[in-house]
Amino acid sequence: MKKKRALITGISELAPHKTAYGQKTLALLAESSRLAIEDAGLQKRDIDGLLVTPPSEDSAFMWPAQVAEYLQIKPVFLNMVELGGASAAGAVARAAMLVEAGICDNCLCLSGGVWDSQVFNTLEGKMSVMSQAEIDFELPYLPMGFNTGYALIARRHMHLYGTTPEQMAKIAVDQRFNALHNPLALFNQAPLTIEEVLQSLLITDPLHLLEIVRPCSGAAAAVVSRASSDMNTHRSVSVLGWGEACTHNSIVYSEEITISPVKESAQRAFAMAECGPADIDLVSLYDCYPITVLITLEDAGFCAKGEGGSFVARHNLTYQGDFPCNTHGGQLSMGQPSFAGGMSHIIEAVRQLRGEAGIRQVPQNRLAFVNGNGGVMSTESSLVLGRTEHV
Amino acid sequence: MCDDQTRIYYQHLKQGELWLQYCLNCQEHTFYPRSHCPGCLDQQLEWRKSQGQGRVYSYSIIHVQSLADDDVPYIYSLVTLDEGVRLATRIVDCSPEAVHVDMGVEMVVRAINGQLMPVFKPVAGLKSQA
Repeated sequence: MKKKRALITGISELAPHKTAYGQKTLALLAESSRLAIEDAGLQKRDIDGLLVTPPSEDSAFMWPAQVAEYLQIKPVFLNMVELGGASAAGAVARAAMLVEAGICDNCLCLSGGVWDSQVFNTLEGKMSVMSQAEIDFELPYLPMGFNTGYALIARRHMHLYGTTPEQMAKIAVDQRFNALHNPLALFNQAPLTIEEVLQSLLITDPLHLLEIVRPCSGAAAAVVSRASSDMNTHRSVSVLGWGEACTHNSIVYSEEITISPVKESAQRAFAMAECGPADIDLVSLYDCYPITVLITLEDAGFCAKGEGGSFVARHNLTYQGDFPCNTHGGQLSMGQPSFAGGMSHIIEAVRQLRGEAGIRQVPQNRLAFVNGNGGVMSTESSLVLGRTEHV
Repeated sequence: MCDDQTRIYYQHLKQGELWLQYCLNCQEHTFYPRSHCPGCLDQQLEWRKSQGQGRVYSYSIIHVQSLADDDVPYIYSLVTLDEGVRLATRIVDCSPEAVHVDMGVEMVVRAINGQLMPVFKPVAGLKSQA
């Protein structure tokens, strides 16, 4: 493997909350920034790059500058990364480019904010996350937002490949087992069974309530730094490869809705990292619904197209299992902060690669595959992360 | 907010007809209405009347709706038209138990929450086996 110079040197994650408790997005971002910079062993003045996901309540106008002012940092490169749930992985990929190009030394990647859980239940809320074409040609039929988009993928996958509701539910069940040992998770009180998932309210067939992610308030951060010879790298994680791809905005216009741009993004990430799915020790896959994980497993090459259902049924996806997946509980048990940037998947992969995952620590922790997914499998950002052996 | 193309599309619907844009360069239909062909980015698009025949590509029966002014359950669907384009729609005059992927359907214009929209009903008799 080629030497990579981009390292994740610091991480932080605030506990997700079902409401904002009067907090503001900038306060959450400031707190997660402080913790991540401290975790990296850096000072605030060392931060010279800022990549931030969009705000939920505040005006997005000049958002990176708003954040920089609040934090009182003076970045020489700043940008808002708006890739939906692929934003956090996309930010880390961009940060890796910036430090490898010598533009920044330490780039702060920020994701999160406050969330009004009722926002998608109003017409204005629905329209705020829709393109004009979706408003004109989809909204009149009243889809139930993103839920219905993923339901359409699940239904067609069931039709083409015989994938069963039980197979999809098992993903949520295994992830809940992981969450039971994650004090940060919103849903870590009780285990879940496949029967409980399938007996929960059918919302937009075939998706049940317990297969749908819970929006919440929260924030997380990662510092990406350029490796230098005087750096103590024993806790750092290398960004070995990344890839990004987009094939559509609305799922209506995807060529084949059961095939996602993960095919392209993962292939690029693996090629850059000079490894493949068989080399990976653990995965952190964006999970707004179980079907998202299933499609990602197929398209990233962990199993063949159409075999995702039998793959998840055959493997134990818990941190104790033979295929550790979303060992923090995934968003399905963690909660999905703000505009769903997907940072929690990166944070957990870094914890595992550092050997700092506590009771959830997996024994093999050399290489992790992380995937961020935006919209209805519209925009994908894949990362291959590895323990930093040397710089 | 409607652009000119969207306005033309909805004007045809008021007459009970579904019209699509057709690119003279690419010789392909396109949906949704737009200024430039997504194949060649040229503006050689002409309006043609759709036959209104197609097949269910996927569907979801919506049991819970957060916008309260609609009756659940209803069948939200993606339909692929014989002209080759896919659109979001609803399947009507069909029970949730009867709908299935690849089912033959034909277009009718119905009001949904007061707005005329193209929806699809099962093709009767032998035609569904075609």
